[in-house]
Amino acid sequence: MVPPWRINEVLERAETGPICLEKDFELKILLPKLRDVIRKYKIEFDPENVVPSDDSLADDVWRAALELYLEVGTYCTSTHRRILFDESEIREAMKNFPGRFVLGYGKDSRELFHRKIEDGRRPFCLFSPDITCDEQLFVPMSMAYLQEPLADGVCAPILEEIEGRSIKAGAPFEIKGSVAHAMMFREAARRVGRPGIFLQSVGTAQSDAAQIAASNPIWGERLTDGRFVASISELKVDFSLLNKMVHFHQYGCFVGALTGPMFGGYCGGAEGTAIVGTAYHIQGLMVNQAHYQNYFPFHIKHMHNTTRELLWGISVTYQALARNTPLISLSNGFAAAGPSTPMVLYEAAAHGLVSVVSGANLWEIAVARNRYKNRATPMEAKMACEVGCGVAESGIKRSEANELAKKIVSKYEKEIAEAPLGRTFQECYDIRKIAPNDDYAKLYKKVKEELRELGVLFIY
Amino acid sequence: MSLETLNERLKKFVISGDEEAAEKTASEILKAGMDPLEVIEKSLSPTMRLVGEKFEKGEYYVPELLCAAAAMEAATRVLTAEMKGESKEKLKAKKIGRVVVGTVSGDIHDIGKNILALLLEVNGFDTYDLGKDVDSMKFIEKAVEVQADIIALSALMTTTKPAQKEVIDFLNEMGLRDKYTVMVGGAPTSKEWAEEIGADGWAETAERGVRLAQTLIRDR
Repeated sequence: MVPPWRINEVLERAETGPICLEKDFELKILLPKLRDVIRKYKIEFDPENVVPSDDSLADDVWRAALELYLEVGTYCTSTHRRILFDESEIREAMKNFPGRFVLGYGKDSRELFHRKIEDGRRPFCLFSPDITCDEQLFVPMSMAYLQEPLADGVCAPILEEIEGRSIKAGAPFEIKGSVAHAMMFREAARRVGRPGIFLQSVGTAQSDAAQIAASNPIWGERLTDGRFVASISELKVDFSLLNKMVHFHQYGCFVGALTGPMFGGYCGGAEGTAIVGTAYHIQGLMVNQAHYQNYFPFHIKHMHNTTRELLWGISVTYQALARNTPLISLSNGFAAAGPSTPMVLYEAAAHGLVSVVSGANLWEIAVARNRYKNRATPMEAKMACEVGCGVAESGIKRSEANELAKKIVSKYEKEIAEAPLGRTFQECYDIRKIAPNDDYAKLYKKVKEELRELGVLFIY
Repeated sequence: MSLETLNERLKKFVISGDEEAAEKTASEILKAGMDPLEVIEKSLSPTMRLVGEKFEKGEYYVPELLCAAAAMEAATRVLTAEMKGESKEKLKAKKIGRVVVGTVSGDIHDIGKNILALLLEVNGFDTYDLGKDVDSMKFIEKAVEVQADIIALSALMTTTKPAQKEVIDFLNEMGLRDKYTVMVGGAPTSKEWAEEIGADGWAETAERGVRLAQTLIRDR
């Protein structure tokens, strides 16, 4: 079963594919073809349909993405060559993709599976702060996320320092920090009584060497855990990323593809972002060789994906994948506002709602523009996932979700450029007891009630 | 074709990002006997500034910006090739400052840095783009070589932003800190981070980076 799909073929093509300058790949190969498929398939963003109910739009986005990827491929910056595939190879990989995996081990293991549009099954919920933290906060912050009942898997915060020394990519302290990250995260999982929970690691490791250093079935990253092979914007990889891919598969752990097309970047607007985002999922299967994707399109200036343009793109990408592939993907929210603000909870709710009804699993949630150390708590992820699970179990349709999403988005869309940064983890949580403070708990309850009044259905 | 029409055509091709047509029109302009310096100053630069403004307002995205820049570069190449020494000096003198820009060591991301370099150029700076994954010492070597005013350091990963500090540490230890203004930016950076490492300024977006560079140059 796939993945991996013929690793040697991919590596060889990275060294023998058609050669071109990186700038030409972007401006003369990717951009013209992207414009061409947007025109050909008449893909058009509609602000009134944040969650479109039109199946033909989803299928057109899929066809546009496939056509784009078949012609453009993936650029390897280490060799200045394009890795190309033909359609039969992509079909072979997709037909042999199982569409479900059991992640984690023992009583804490959970099934991650391909979801359909308006799927009634609960999404897999991965809780993640997606941000850096102080060294002394690593364990309490990890435990705060790990103890959340809705969390099927968790990704830890990222260390900036180890033993008081700065962690710099490629330097020896990165290896020390990455090993410490893996060890402390596992310890945190045991302390909350979930030693077998699926752990996605090691965010502290940017380099291939540091990732490889953290693979150890006893104290580090296990075979039941997940690791990431990222991409370079847009549709690019390098040897360091391919080194990780080879190592993860030979080690035997799960592999995720980490992909975030930039709205306003080479993708252009909502239409291009949705098509490139869908194409990234094909690349994720063929080049990153991933069992699942973490998908986080984001606004190039404001680092969020919770406005209409971005949510529309998320919806059509997931609908395209749900209808045309067996692929598994987790939709990663990016909120502009920070913890302990009503706005971040609305943003989280909108992201969870739109993603799940469109066929996604959840990875929640980067907040405060994904920029500020210690500025994330599990409360934001909890809101997104409570809404997402409610969407699935209530069986609401896309048209109903669209109306709800517009109501929620209208509460914050005008504030997005100047969104409040909120508070830090230690300002929101009692870090000894690892519990949210009264202020945030009350705010959460209040916003949840407001959402309920708008028509959002919760599972409890 | 009248000079006015040629000029208008050149502007149109820059805005639409038609590199080939812009290059061809620039040749025709030269053949028609127009002063290349005047064309650059009165047509090309204001047109590119307009494109930059549209990007800032969100009316244009990166593809439009990059294609317009490529068209402008092609036209400028043709126009400056025939330029006399005096005109070249005048063109150089119009620049408001020299900026060495790059993505720091270990970091392979460059979209933000590319936009900043482009917008700085459009707004009258002389920019020296060192690319991505640039060794910390290379920034300093280049700044010394071109007598830069500003060193602009981009980082997209939390684990690569310490390299911004490394450049500042190098400058301090080499006794060069006072010679250069250092600005930092990129997804994981913040005002607090800039203050912590002793940078002179931080900008959240490329557009704000241009404003910051203008302020820093004015205050030097």
